[in-house]
Amino acid sequence: MTYDVGPISDFSERRFRIVHAAGHEIGVLRWQDRFFAVHNRCPHQKGPLCLGVVSGRLHGGAPGSMEVDDETPIIACPWHGWEFDLERGRALWEEGYAVKVVPVRIQDGRVLLEVGRSAAEASP
Amino acid sequence: MYSGPIVDCDVHHARNSDAELIEFLPRGWREYVTDRGRAGNVPLTVQDGFPNPHGFMRADTYPEGGGEPGADYPTMRAQLLDASDVRRAILTFGDDSHLAGHHNPYFANEIARACNDWSIERWLSRDPRLLSSIMVGSQLPELAAAEIHRHAANARMVQVMLVDNPFGYGFGHPIFHPIYAAAEETNRPVAIHGGAGGWANPPSTGGGSVNTYFETHTLWPQAIQTHVVSFIAHGVFEKYPKLRLILIEGGSAWIPSLLWRFDTEFKGLRREVPWLKRLPSEYFAEHVWVSSQPLEISPKREHVVELLRSMHLEDKLCYASDYPHWDADEIDYLSSRLPAEWHRQVFLENACRLYGWNAEELGRPAAAAEKAT
Repeated sequence: MTYDVGPISDFSERRFRIVHAAGHEIGVLRWQDRFFAVHNRCPHQKGPLCLGVVSGRLHGGAPGSMEVDDETPIIACPWHGWEFDLERGRALWEEGYAVKVVPVRIQDGRVLLEVGRSAAEASP
Repeated sequence: MYSGPIVDCDVHHARNSDAELIEFLPRGWREYVTDRGRAGNVPLTVQDGFPNPHGFMRADTYPEGGGEPGADYPTMRAQLLDASDVRRAILTFGDDSHLAGHHNPYFANEIARACNDWSIERWLSRDPRLLSSIMVGSQLPELAAAEIHRHAANARMVQVMLVDNPFGYGFGHPIFHPIYAAAEETNRPVAIHGGAGGWANPPSTGGGSVNTYFETHTLWPQAIQTHVVSFIAHGVFEKYPKLRLILIEGGSAWIPSLLWRFDTEFKGLRREVPWLKRLPSEYFAEHVWVSSQPLEISPKREHVVELLRSMHLEDKLCYASDYPHWDADEIDYLSSRLPAEWHRQVFLENACRLYGWNAEELGRPAAAAEKAT
């Protein structure tokens, strides 16, 4: 089911906004004019995931190096710091461990969530 | 009980006198050490450590003709090498193994070189079953690397051994990396032997120093744990992907608990070490082996077995006697504590994988003919 959660202008860059849709709490993030949405529930201990810090993914090549991938937004759970890739919801240490992702699309300047559909189903 | 072929990964060979080692020092260092008149020689071994009220040696290992345990080849041969089907035994030195505890790094480097030459000439020449560790003065890692390369062509110098910690940082610290680069380049595993972290240097125990051998020996795994965590956190196995590590005489039942915690910490603290590409336990599984001795004695045998099984350590445990030390594990005893289906792995095959030997070939009955004559 599609949920209209407001105009693009309601969403500040790099800040999660919590919305309610189909009985779920969902965090919606605007990141470099792309939109991401995940359930506000960490799979670890059910913490309020979207209250955590959002940042670009940190990479390291050689030990001691730190590089930021701004194309890949990451959420770190405020409870234990577990990090998830917001594009696919996957934990950074294990692809099989993930937070639920909600497909987002923009139509006529409005942010629409496809709740109840997987990202694959929502792809055109 | 297990009666098959054996690789023994921790056999301490020793010397009876300073003179045995001094002759392998370069002339200038011989001069430095000796001829000091009534003051005697400069000590070659690190003057520190806790006394063991029983002594550090199994009482029956003192050679009948006199001398130190581990210093007499015929005694070692009779008590260890010929007493069971030992196909290979890796020598790990005696008190000289603590040379990285010397305050003088140049002296430590020379002692390491002398130890290695002594080991080759006085021990490896006597029995094809004997192999040696390469001692290094880790105070000067570039010279340590050169020492490793000096033995690259000698296949019987099978591993690089670290014991004392000269700097107080875990062995994963980049200051030690030239040693690991050389170990990888020469295809030698690195062995960290118990006692690492402060036999002669600052405390080997977390939380503070202890006061008795009883305490320090109980806590030996702490230093090993520090080094394992340090190796993985500093990305040593990312930087040197072919490097293998063996932990000697630190026990093994703590490994599951450490790795469970280590993995959990990584999930929350990955940002601090983004160069790690896998869970810490995955690096451990690929790169780290563990000596069997001393096997923790759980009141019920199955408890320690279950712990080890939980991390698939039956694929990583390598038999080590620790001869001639007081806390050695006998083959019959160890085999009675471990499931029979693990025996061939623990006593032979795991070590073969670590050192790159063909277990089938080494374990054949014909290999017994290689025994010393």
